[in-house]
Amino acid sequence: MEAFIQPGFWIFVLALAGIYGVFSLGLQIQYGVGGIMNFGHVGMMAVSGYTIAVLVIKYQWSFWWAALLGVVLAAFLGALLGLTTLRLSGDYFAIASIAFAEIVRYWILNSDDTTGGTQGTLAIPSPEGFASYTGQPDVILNWISERLYPIIGDEASRDLSMVLIVWPFFFLFIWISSRLQKTSWARVLRATREDDDVPRSLGKNVFRFRLQTLIIGSVFGGIAGVFWAVQFALLAPEDFLRIVTFYGWMILILAGSTRVKGLFVAAIFFGFLYGATRFLEFWPLSLLSSPERAYLRVFLIGLVIVLLMVKRPQGLFGKRQEMILE
Amino acid sequence: MSDFIQYFFNGLVVGCIFAIAAVGISLLYSVLRLVNFAAGDFLTLGAFITYFLSVTLELNFFLSIVVSMLAGMGISWFLELVLWRNLRRNKAGTLALFLVATGVALMLRPIIQFVFGTETRKFNIDILKTYDFLGARIPQTQLLVLIFASASILTIALFIAKARIGKDMRAYANNPGLASVSGINVDRVVLATWLISGALGSLAGVFQGLVQGQFNNAMGETLLLSFFAAVVLGTIGDAYGALAGGLLLGLIMELSQLGIFFGGVPSNYKPVVAFATLVLVLLFKPEGIFGYRARKV
Repeated sequence: MEAFIQPGFWIFVLALAGIYGVFSLGLQIQYGVGGIMNFGHVGMMAVSGYTIAVLVIKYQWSFWWAALLGVVLAAFLGALLGLTTLRLSGDYFAIASIAFAEIVRYWILNSDDTTGGTQGTLAIPSPEGFASYTGQPDVILNWISERLYPIIGDEASRDLSMVLIVWPFFFLFIWISSRLQKTSWARVLRATREDDDVPRSLGKNVFRFRLQTLIIGSVFGGIAGVFWAVQFALLAPEDFLRIVTFYGWMILILAGSTRVKGLFVAAIFFGFLYGATRFLEFWPLSLLSSPERAYLRVFLIGLVIVLLMVKRPQGLFGKRQEMILE
Repeated sequence: MSDFIQYFFNGLVVGCIFAIAAVGISLLYSVLRLVNFAAGDFLTLGAFITYFLSVTLELNFFLSIVVSMLAGMGISWFLELVLWRNLRRNKAGTLALFLVATGVALMLRPIIQFVFGTETRKFNIDILKTYDFLGARIPQTQLLVLIFASASILTIALFIAKARIGKDMRAYANNPGLASVSGINVDRVVLATWLISGALGSLAGVFQGLVQGQFNNAMGETLLLSFFAAVVLGTIGDAYGALAGGLLLGLIMELSQLGIFFGGVPSNYKPVVAFATLVLVLLFKPEGIFGYRARKV
């Protein structure tokens, strides 16, 4: 029970919630507005995270330029995915998007000289001999911790500094995205989600609208990858398995796919689920070893997804009518 | 030349397994419009149950396979009753079906891990014995798998073509409305489809475990996208197509390692060959090799 009342646990939960919240915001725009079922979203996160790690460690880039390029590359991957496969109908596109993300992961897994392969970014060959890429963001995180230390003492952790950076961005992105969803651009998209032919008959280029949505969503995926890379300070190919995309989907359907403001509640729920299966020590969790807890997490996420889709497909905050459109 | 024979033979073996797994996925899609993301984990489950019965309990290997197929059918039946039937009644959309299938996969995987553990397993069959054939090295297990798998494929094809329920399935897939007004019992067709796909999943899992020599709980999950590639290659929803698509994909994946193709694809990129085949087929011939393109109005 102890970990449960420790602020450190909840701070970790919040940090994780912020990062995955931004991640699923990308899915929210793609599905909730454009009706695009992207199951390869994790690829965007992998691309931006690894771009940072490789450029900073191997080529001594500044972290900030590397992060910017990482997000640009994530958007580029989104464009590539869209240009090649977005003309396919829903379920075909979903399968193709998984294949895309898996190709990215296999490339990372097998390019030892560039990405460190199975051993992760620690194994990236670095001229300075030390494979860390978080030097520059750490300066800022430490600066925040030092300012907070006189006020709250030992609770001023790196995680808390992350929360204080990620959450304002998360709120900003939610705000931008909810503004975006009130524009005429989003109205056209919503129309395409229901029926391609109506907007087409009004002279709208449906494909271009969808492509734009996919790219915007991918930018959020890329930004989440930047946060992720800073939070964990180490990347490995198994951090970007297919299941990570479904973490994002779980948050999205929990919030209700058309309800952008429900996202932060759902994200905190996910962060709690993740953190609890990782750190909490009370019975019956204390009976499980740490790999067993990882399975428990996967099981619970599967269970939440199934129960939601069977019992409440509109999510906690959504309207049922908006789900039955397909 | 001996290289070619070696890869061709490997391709046939892998292809047969793909074909068996893919036909289950394809049948489910044609009848239920469901992309079964849990198919991979049914393979793992089949392999582990067979392992448990034949190695831990020392039962007869063939009996173990039969029991594991029955178990696969039982679980599919259970899920149809508690899950899929309700979703159909609620007119669940594509996304809901996708996510529920994924959720089932996410739940099945930890259950397998809890029950059977995470260690690497190996069937009680001599995997080292090999035969020489025109300079190629043919392991005994692969030869057995090839024989039994091709027999299974023939049985499946005959079953779909001739058996009453096979015909009902094709009729329902073709035109659900017409099929149900002409007296085909829809629930029975759907149930039969689930049972077949459950049994085939277990069977393919055992074959795959034999071919790999040793396997762990990630076996099926890793192969899932390759199965999808086979299904799409052979025209999604077409059962015979899936059989052919599986064989073809197996051959493509193995033969791509031959030196004449850009110096040969390294073997750790084999799954990428499958993913790339999937994306390329979707790009240039989304209707698959046997399908015809619906005219866009």
